[in-house]
Amino acid sequence: MTRQSDTTRILISKQAAQRLADSISRRRFLALGGGVAAAAALAACGSSGGGGSTSTSPGGTTAPGGAVDKKLNLYTWAEYDDPDLLKAWGDISLTIFDSNEQAVQKLVTGGGSSGFDMVVPTGPYVPQLAKAGLLEEIDKTKIPNFSNLDSRYTNQPWDLGNKYSVCKNWGTTGWFYDSTVVKTEIKTWSDFIKAAQTEASGQTTVLDAPPDLCGIYFWANGIDWTTEKTEDLDACEKFLVNDFASHIKAFNSYPGVDLTSGSFALSQVFIGDARAGLLGVQEAGEDVSRYKWGIGAPMTELWMDNWCVLKGAKNRDAAYDFINFVLEPANSVKDLNYHGYNTGIVGIEDLAGDIDFKDMVFYTSAAQLATMQSGAVNSAQDRIVKIYSNVKAKAGG
Amino acid sequence: MTATIDARPSRRRGWLRAPKFLLAIPSFIWYVFLFVIPVALVVVNSFGRKIANVPGKVDLGSPNFDRYHEVLSGSFKTLLKQTMFTSLLGTVLCLIISLPVAYFLAFKVGPKAKTAVLALLMVPFFANFLLRTLAWRIVLQPSGFVSNFLQSGHWFTFGQALRSSPLQILDTRSAVQIAIVYNYLPLMIFPLWVALDRVELHLREASKDLGANRVRTFLQVTLPLAGPGIVAGLILVFVPLSGDYVTAALLGGAKGNMIGAEVANQYFKAQDAASGSAIAVSLIISILLVLGVLAACFLFGSKLVKRSRSVKVVL
Repeated sequence: MTRQSDTTRILISKQAAQRLADSISRRRFLALGGGVAAAAALAACGSSGGGGSTSTSPGGTTAPGGAVDKKLNLYTWAEYDDPDLLKAWGDISLTIFDSNEQAVQKLVTGGGSSGFDMVVPTGPYVPQLAKAGLLEEIDKTKIPNFSNLDSRYTNQPWDLGNKYSVCKNWGTTGWFYDSTVVKTEIKTWSDFIKAAQTEASGQTTVLDAPPDLCGIYFWANGIDWTTEKTEDLDACEKFLVNDFASHIKAFNSYPGVDLTSGSFALSQVFIGDARAGLLGVQEAGEDVSRYKWGIGAPMTELWMDNWCVLKGAKNRDAAYDFINFVLEPANSVKDLNYHGYNTGIVGIEDLAGDIDFKDMVFYTSAAQLATMQSGAVNSAQDRIVKIYSNVKAKAGG
Repeated sequence: MTATIDARPSRRRGWLRAPKFLLAIPSFIWYVFLFVIPVALVVVNSFGRKIANVPGKVDLGSPNFDRYHEVLSGSFKTLLKQTMFTSLLGTVLCLIISLPVAYFLAFKVGPKAKTAVLALLMVPFFANFLLRTLAWRIVLQPSGFVSNFLQSGHWFTFGQALRSSPLQILDTRSAVQIAIVYNYLPLMIFPLWVALDRVELHLREASKDLGANRVRTFLQVTLPLAGPGIVAGLILVFVPLSGDYVTAALLGGAKGNMIGAEVANQYFKAQDAASGSAIAVSLIISILLVLGVLAACFLFGSKLVKRSRSVKVVL
């Protein structure tokens, strides 16, 4: 997932987290945090060298007798793992990052001695980590439940043969809007752009992630969003800076809840975030039909976040044991219920039962999947970030 | 300040008379390792360039000023200007709000009440900086209580609504400006209070005895004596404020970005330590320039004032 900094990710102790959770519900807390770039960065400062976790006990290698000592240091996204599920497995300390780039940066500068056992990067970043020698080749014989994964979500182009990664969950990108402001129905990215330029001008948000921002232009114009061609990138920059930037209100990766509180009228969203917004509206007993959402069309993104084991992990066998544990359908469905994204297990849809806004979690028909394409970290990366910086500057000016 | 310590013959025993610089070693080490070396690395990195697809590394093969050209041409320059404007305005607003508070605290509050007032000023600090900033999202959101309040009529506005539409201030530069003043206010109040508190009552009384009214006493006695404290407060607020990116990131949206966020952006999103360093160095230089200009104005101004007030005594 190309999530970037705009989110409420705070690194605090487990006890404090529990207290926080007791006093404010998860959704309420998200409402607090609409756009939070610095949260995790700040938190990260507090956890120098990748420590900052709550579990202090070292080691955790295979205990005598072959049983696995169930201890793990997990480096992941915030609000991404059901605490009860983690507790059911064993002793896991979480450390939070808020963008793939940040995670990569920290792991690279830590030189592998960062003390984590596992990290959860988005697909296109797996090769970067592997190339830097940071990932352990996964021993699939130790993860028998690997076969529970739907073959559509294994063997991805950025990690053929799942050498380094195992799918945690995946999702897609689209739009979310307030139909009292945006009265014309949005069916494609071109409609999205038109609405942003007219009805929702100055009330539109885009994801705080360079590839997704550029994606709006590429998807609308039928260009492969992993393009490395200079003329495509030039055209993208020209359009976004001159014709689009001035309509943007915020660069926010989690606008769902803020949109339903009236801060924004139109947002580019990860679908699960739109769902979080709708769940909130429903919880408050308000009219859900006011807000509309859609999966990007004619093309859009498929992002997949993955379990990866870090090289030199002290608790390697525990890591395998844990991956195996979450790939168990009964556990996977708990994970799904927590974050609202498809975990890619065969039959998970039936297991999930009658959850709210089910079509926002499962969009697995062949026709739908055909419109979704994984991103890539390639030679265009620098240029895409530059375009993003320029759009940001133009939007602020 | 030029205080010199007299060299009285020490009565202590000889072996205790170690060279004085030894005492400075801990802080010297601290500054070298945690300030000088990191800043020097940042400066060095700013002359390099990013290595494609290798995060966090800088190619220093052919050092040049290209990164600075990029910073000074195009988008960053606008952002730098906006940041400086926001910081200066924020600092001035802090000063305007803090001065009466500090004056009140120093001269008008009794010793017992003083503890209570100081405690009240300190209490918000017990809450995390981030949470205090996040709280503004609740306060300012269009469906929030402030917005609702302004849209409904009240007896003290004679039943008139002050606004007809929801408050649209979140994710703008105004929101950043408000929260920045809020966040940095105590950093201004405390030095001002300390400075005013140190102004001797006798001097103020003397001024009164010599016929000066309250305003004149404040302007010509109290304020000049508190001068160093005010300068300290201004620097204490202006410098961190210029580098602040939390507030802008949380509340600024697209329109209220600050340069600090761009530094983080270059490091964490672009994985480009060279550009990030160049922006950081540019920020440091801008801050120093602004401070330099302000110091020059201050010195020149005070010289003018002194000259206009000097009395020629003709015998």
